[in-house]
Amino acid sequence: MTKNFATKVFSIGFWLIVSAIFLLTLPLFLQASWVSLINEMLIMALAGTALNLMLGYGGMVSFGPAGLYAVGAYTTAILLTRYGLPFPLAVLAAPLAAAAVGLIVGWFCVRRSAVYFALLTLAFAQIIWTVIFEWYDFTGGDNGIVSIPIPELLYSITHVYYFSLAVVTVCLFLLWKIVHSPFGTTLQAIRENPMRAEFIAVHVRRYQLAVFVLSSFFLGVAGSLFCVFAGSVFPDYAHWVKSTDMLVVCLLGGIYHFAGPIVGSGVYILISKIISKNTTYWMFFLGIIVVILVLYMRNGLVGFAAEKLAQMKNRSEVKKNKDVP
Amino acid sequence: MIFETQKLTKSFGGLTAVDEVSLGIQKGELVSIIGPNGAGKTTLFNLLTGHLLPDNGKVIFQGRDVTRLPPYAISRMGIGRSFQRLNIFPRLTTFENVQVAVFSAQRKCHRLFSRAQNMAQEETETILESVGLLDKKKLKGGLLAHGDQKRLEIGIALAVHPSLLLLDEPTQGMSPRETGQTTELIQKLVKQRGLTLIFVEHDMSVVFGISDHIKVMHQGRMIFSGKPEEVKNNDEVQRIYLGEKKP
Amino acid sequence: MTWEALAGQTLSGISVGMVLFLIAAGLSIIFGTLKVLNLAHGSLYMTGSFLCYGLTSLLSQIPGAYWWALLFAPILVAVLGGIIEIFLLRRIYDQEMLYQYILTFALILILGDACKFLFGVGYQTVAAPWPVNGKVFLWGLSFPVYNLFLIGCGLAVFLGLIVLMRYTALGRNVRAVTYNREMANALGINVPKVYTGVFMLGSYLAGLAGTLMPPMSVVALGSDMAVIIECFIIVVIGGLGSLPGAFLGAIILGLLNAFGIYIIPKLAVAFAFMLMIVVLIIRPWGLLGKPE
Repeated sequence: MTKNFATKVFSIGFWLIVSAIFLLTLPLFLQASWVSLINEMLIMALAGTALNLMLGYGGMVSFGPAGLYAVGAYTTAILLTRYGLPFPLAVLAAPLAAAAVGLIVGWFCVRRSAVYFALLTLAFAQIIWTVIFEWYDFTGGDNGIVSIPIPELLYSITHVYYFSLAVVTVCLFLLWKIVHSPFGTTLQAIRENPMRAEFIAVHVRRYQLAVFVLSSFFLGVAGSLFCVFAGSVFPDYAHWVKSTDMLVVCLLGGIYHFAGPIVGSGVYILISKIISKNTTYWMFFLGIIVVILVLYMRNGLVGFAAEKLAQMKNRSEVKKNKDVP
Repeated sequence: MIFETQKLTKSFGGLTAVDEVSLGIQKGELVSIIGPNGAGKTTLFNLLTGHLLPDNGKVIFQGRDVTRLPPYAISRMGIGRSFQRLNIFPRLTTFENVQVAVFSAQRKCHRLFSRAQNMAQEETETILESVGLLDKKKLKGGLLAHGDQKRLEIGIALAVHPSLLLLDEPTQGMSPRETGQTTELIQKLVKQRGLTLIFVEHDMSVVFGISDHIKVMHQGRMIFSGKPEEVKNNDEVQRIYLGEKKP
Repeated sequence: MTWEALAGQTLSGISVGMVLFLIAAGLSIIFGTLKVLNLAHGSLYMTGSFLCYGLTSLLSQIPGAYWWALLFAPILVAVLGGIIEIFLLRRIYDQEMLYQYILTFALILILGDACKFLFGVGYQTVAAPWPVNGKVFLWGLSFPVYNLFLIGCGLAVFLGLIVLMRYTALGRNVRAVTYNREMANALGINVPKVYTGVFMLGSYLAGLAGTLMPPMSVVALGSDMAVIIECFIIVVIGGLGSLPGAFLGAIILGLLNAFGIYIIPKLAVAFAFMLMIVVLIIRPWGLLGKPE
């Protein structure tokens, strides 16, 4: 048992080091277009992991993460463009604004059972989208906000990339800590059985609200990063299609593994670039992919790989470790 | 009197599931509630623990009115409970199942950045040992055998340091051997921890074996209450309940 | 605002409300029995409206083309619903709710692009058919007949559903399954069949709404999401699972939209959202719903 565990840690550590070296050096040998693609993956990995804190760990299905992501993006954009705030402040304000909006939205969403939660998250995200789309004077409406004054230092894609890499790494580390804390265990207990959790003196709704706010915070960071990367913001950021992207990223990678959305993000963005180049009916194929995932691969790529790995490592242990049906 | 109810009533549509039930329980007592299926025992439990709101009446625990408190607050005050249908955290390990309850008792659930893995290890393991599951601590709760899951539930309930424990059919679905073990376990826990215990049970050997008091429910009403031998000798109880099973 | 405008807005608000009621009622019935929140319900509506457009233009040579569309388009949507229930939803009932949400969400994407592929991205219109076109004069004010026709349809469906649920053997089976699935199974009710039937009924209602709407609006992509959000607002206001709740919520929402446009044209939807929020604060289980 201990030996098994040690090899597992070794392999995780090993892969972490390999990917760290790859990520740190890749602007040296990759074209700018690839660097920017990987930058997108990083941001999506953060957004997906933030959503998955609710989805996979809290068992709360949110259809509106894009709304909070957009709050982050627009906060940075508006503070820089309209109020000329210093860059660090404009970036720091984004997660705070998203968390504040998340607190309000979340307060309503956790008031009712799971079904209403799903329905309300979608409705509130549409409100945010509508406000952004229609409030022309403040948000620029469907024209969005373009040529946002980003510091000169971040004009080159390489610099933006390193900036994103640093922020995403720190955020993922924080999220990893949260998932493995007593709060994380409590969250999973609520996912497994809210009624039982209530009767070990856990105020379930309060914890659900807390995780909603935390998730919003990190979605806000992701939104802000994308704003810095793109130099512009559009109402599309809040659109439900963007929420779909994030959900699919989680589902594709596997919602019961921390690494799920990170792997999901890489694979998804790659596939979407390839397929959407060749068809205007990308959404159709996306839908089919989701249906296949739900019907045949509920644990996602990481879950699938973990299962196979466990089978290979020790056939006798498989029976015990397999997920409960 | 550690715990009492006053004229507790709850109806669903036209059916009065619990009808003016008043009961009083002394500290350290081991009380069982019996009655045919549909007598209102589980509904009564749900009223006691805040999962249902009564139409009328009061629940008083340690001198405080807890009638309209939500479940988490009642639990916080020191009432633990197990459920009739299995109620654990299936995809957490046995260890985590108990550990999360220990976190809650120690008010550590909100800690965001400490490492959970090795926290509260000693206390969690003590509880697992007392319910006999220490050797299975790494298994997922949902993969345990039925009897083990039932015991795990008791372990979860114990972890929040209850002074009153409500068990809903603790030996339901168990083999005779497991039933014997669980009965022993319950008696031992009550003694060791100075618990007060109320339990619903269908197995009469358990009921008459360990109860200090037996309360009989029928069609929502508490029709009789007394020592085991009094219950045995009461004609009405014999007729409506025991008569069904024993000659 | 003149009296004429006031009356006109009220009538159009109520008639749009009736169409929304049909959709929300389907959503609510499906949820009540199958415990599935069909996020793709708006997509079924949109499919219905495109089928209405498709059938009326296909049959444009035949007199009364619209009425043929009204007959067949909802049935086609019901069949589509049946296929979805049998081949997709049925396979995940014993899974966590999460997967149901995501699966029905995926259907939004698939049906949306299917409509785009089959009918194109343009805006389409369907004329109000004889004899419900034109206007009628009442108390010196003129009203479009089609609006009155919609109100009639809405009321008829509302009453029909109540009778169906309360007084027929079919309704009794549905209620038994809704109340307790295992028990109904034990009583010899074919639960899977009831599930398919209810999902088809809900889909039929969405398709019916989709067919009724085009003559007073347009057929366009994107109506799926607009409609599903409005349905969510309706069921939050009225209470999910309650038929009278859906009716009340739909009328309120229809009126709010009709008058909201007068006050803030662009943010009319804000009134509906605000009402939803107020309901969530003071009566979180909805106006006619039951507390959990």
